[in-house]
Amino acid sequence: MAEQQQYRANLMVCAGTSCVSSESFKIKEVIEEELKKRELEKEIGVVLTGCSGLCAAGPVLTIYPDGIFYQKLKPEDIPYLVEEHLLKGRPVKRLMYKIPEKRAAIPTMMDIPFYKHQVLRVLRNKGLIDPEKIEEYIARDGYQAAAKALTQMTPEEIVKIVTDSGLRGRGGAGFPTGRKWELALKIEADEKYVVCNGDEGDPGAFMDRSVMEADPHAVIEGMIICAKATQSHHAYIYVRAEYPLAVKRLQIAIDQCYEAGLLGKDILGTGFDFDLDIYQGAGAFVCGEATALMRSIEGKRGMPRPKLWRSAVKGLWDKPTVLNNVETFANIPQIILNGADWYRSLGTVKSTGTKVFALTGAIRNVGLVEVPMDMTLRTIIYDIGGGMKKKGRKFKAVQLGGPSGGCIPEEFLDIPVTYEAIEKTGAIVGSGGMVAMDDSSCMVGVAKYFLDFTADESCGKCVPCRIGTRVMLDLLTDITEGRGKEGDIGTLEDLSHDIIATSLCGLGQSAPNPVLTTIRYFRDEYVSHIRDKWCRVGVCRDLATFYIDEKICKGCGICLKACPSKAIIGEKKKPHKIIQELCVHCRTCYEVCRFNTIKVLPAAARMANEAELMELAGQIEAWAGIEMEEVE
Amino acid sequence: MAENIKILVVDDEPIVIRSAKRILGAEGYDVEGASGGREAIIMMEKKNYDLVLTDLKMPEVDGITLMRWIRKSRPETGIVVITGYPSQETIKEALELGIIDYVPKPFTPAVLLDVTHRALEWMKGKIPEEEIPKEEFPPSMISELDRVIKEYKNKPGSTIPVLQRAQEIVGYLPPIIQKRIARGLNVSTADVHSIVSFYSFFSMKPRGEHIVKVCLGTACYVKGIEAVVTKLKAELKIEMGGITDDKRFSMESVRCLGACGLAPVMVIDQDTHGTLEPKKVAQILDEYRPVSKETT
Repeated sequence: MAEQQQYRANLMVCAGTSCVSSESFKIKEVIEEELKKRELEKEIGVVLTGCSGLCAAGPVLTIYPDGIFYQKLKPEDIPYLVEEHLLKGRPVKRLMYKIPEKRAAIPTMMDIPFYKHQVLRVLRNKGLIDPEKIEEYIARDGYQAAAKALTQMTPEEIVKIVTDSGLRGRGGAGFPTGRKWELALKIEADEKYVVCNGDEGDPGAFMDRSVMEADPHAVIEGMIICAKATQSHHAYIYVRAEYPLAVKRLQIAIDQCYEAGLLGKDILGTGFDFDLDIYQGAGAFVCGEATALMRSIEGKRGMPRPKLWRSAVKGLWDKPTVLNNVETFANIPQIILNGADWYRSLGTVKSTGTKVFALTGAIRNVGLVEVPMDMTLRTIIYDIGGGMKKKGRKFKAVQLGGPSGGCIPEEFLDIPVTYEAIEKTGAIVGSGGMVAMDDSSCMVGVAKYFLDFTADESCGKCVPCRIGTRVMLDLLTDITEGRGKEGDIGTLEDLSHDIIATSLCGLGQSAPNPVLTTIRYFRDEYVSHIRDKWCRVGVCRDLATFYIDEKICKGCGICLKACPSKAIIGEKKKPHKIIQELCVHCRTCYEVCRFNTIKVLPAAARMANEAELMELAGQIEAWAGIEMEEVE
Repeated sequence: MAENIKILVVDDEPIVIRSAKRILGAEGYDVEGASGGREAIIMMEKKNYDLVLTDLKMPEVDGITLMRWIRKSRPETGIVVITGYPSQETIKEALELGIIDYVPKPFTPAVLLDVTHRALEWMKGKIPEEEIPKEEFPPSMISELDRVIKEYKNKPGSTIPVLQRAQEIVGYLPPIIQKRIARGLNVSTADVHSIVSFYSFFSMKPRGEHIVKVCLGTACYVKGIEAVVTKLKAELKIEMGGITDDKRFSMESVRCLGACGLAPVMVIDQDTHGTLEPKKVAQILDEYRPVSKETT
């Protein structure tokens, strides 16, 4: 950091996974070349940082001290950018972030709505430090909390602060962290373990990945404090095999800590010993479950065990073990430094502090966001997320909590993202995956997707989970392929309750949630799939007939070009039509049409002639309206 | 049935050799005798024996020394111990050297025959150590594997890390490699196999030079990964989990790559390819094909 302070400007190039894949390394190279050409390399520093959050706009770059934010950079933009901004002091508007409707450039990062509404605690260092340099972490108050905990605090004091902060496990279940630590502290044992769960398996979630990649030292510091609080001397970080960059950066961070005397024997001269190892997972979703994860570290099949006792009593190798999620640990140092009251100042009484969400799906600003826990879903989706990405599409549901969670419809958008409020909707906060869906999504299809996931990932130990999810999946497959029967919805609900009641671990107990919530909020879609053999958005191929509304079609020809089976005919600027016999129901035309011209009719309409089709289309639109009301 | 089976009886008491020759010779075995360890080694240097019956206490070169030499130089030879007063230590040492059985002295003809028969049966059933085909697994690869196994041996919970490293070295985990790891770590083959079959990270099938991992996460699903998969299948002419005929590509599905900002996304080797569209697929794959193929 000392070196950097001499620079008159610093370029923070994002090197999160998203930006790296859109060539941010190349961008950095070109910047360095250009700086050299203009002999600016001694005046201006270039730093590779962890994920800065706005993944949709990558590769991104922020120039400090002004905080000017540039997005979607290409190597050929760089010479101009360096010349204009760094040499002549004229920021380049063309490369700044723009709100699509307004077209006005927003120069600084903190004015961009995506960032403006966020409160950064866990992610406070994102985009500001080089995650591979311990000095930069230390310069941002790093390891001060660990030093305080090791030298000035008793284990009981640490546990008390964490308990008072109200911090709850960020992995999904929301168990109070302080209580877990207290349990582990009170138990006498010759050995205790601290384990960090970085087996982020929920599809659609990448919070832990980003924290491990952007600020690995924060996780390690949290673990050191936990070790002191529970008097443990050995720890593991369990990281998914799919996260090679996270493993690399954690390993660098751990090596630096050993060198700096922050890990190993006699940490900071306090006489406290603490060793930390990385353990790479091997691709089994169930290993995110605490007991399965510990089995996996022991080198066995990762299968859960009955929770006759808590892990804090008997965990890894039957020793007391504190297992917390990456985000939970990353919260700890700030709590120790700023106190419990500071932490409680955000959120609600029962859900304190902030939560990191991975915001993805059919939304404009895809990325990583950290918000106070009392923020509403609406603010997150519309103000931070920027609303639906595709023009003319409306919000339909947001999926929270991955395969264990559920789909929340529009009517609940004004609830806060607290553990309690989300649970009431039938979903869970979970680890923080938040997938927004627009009105072109089929909710039966979404339920099937998640069940396909859990049925495949069930470890097989409990029959209800192994076979029950399979039977439910078969039912859903039948429904989406036109073989649905009356009574299927009831069977799905019954099976769901049985699986929830009789499974051993969280995977089985929560696997039916996506089905239950979609039945609860989108029952009409199930009904139309089963009774009318009609997927109204055309996702389920066998239950859809695509038809062009000639009254609206402007004959732009986009669908005609996009159709893979050349089933669309028509002259330019005249209404097109689909030859049903040639149509393969791939839905491409529906997706590319900008005028909402493509209508979806039940499968039966494929046999109708043109006149009948028109009539049917008119009828069904009216009918659909009535039916929706009836069901509700 | 006893044709061509060569047995060497080693004992410093000539009477033992004589009676063994009489009893076993009558059954058609080809029996020879040696009066001590040294003579036995000299005889075995010249000729291969299927089974050695040896006393433990002999002057000069004793039975244990002889057995150590056999294990090292003639590992395929079976050993049965004939002994009068076995002490616990010597029997323990003999067992560690992998003896098949032992005959207490004095013995009746029936006992000697029975033990010999059973020892030979046991040897027949003994699966000779599978030769690792050199073309597929070069010795340098295997010695690297053995080095890793040695590094992790005796560390608790080391099976999964060893398998991960092994897969890096070999590319996949066929049964023969699993067996070698099991033996090296001193765990059962079943244990190793149960882990390999449980975790999706491990592959028992050979993989292509380039591994295409397609993300089937929620964000990718919502953004249409299915069309990309269809295109990939058509382009590579393989199914999910398959490998191309030229072994250049194999395709696997991954639950979530955690790069949802780029959905739909796939990873080829270490490179992430995001915001995929079916029409981009062919171009991306071309990057991994040899240049000559593009020009022809």
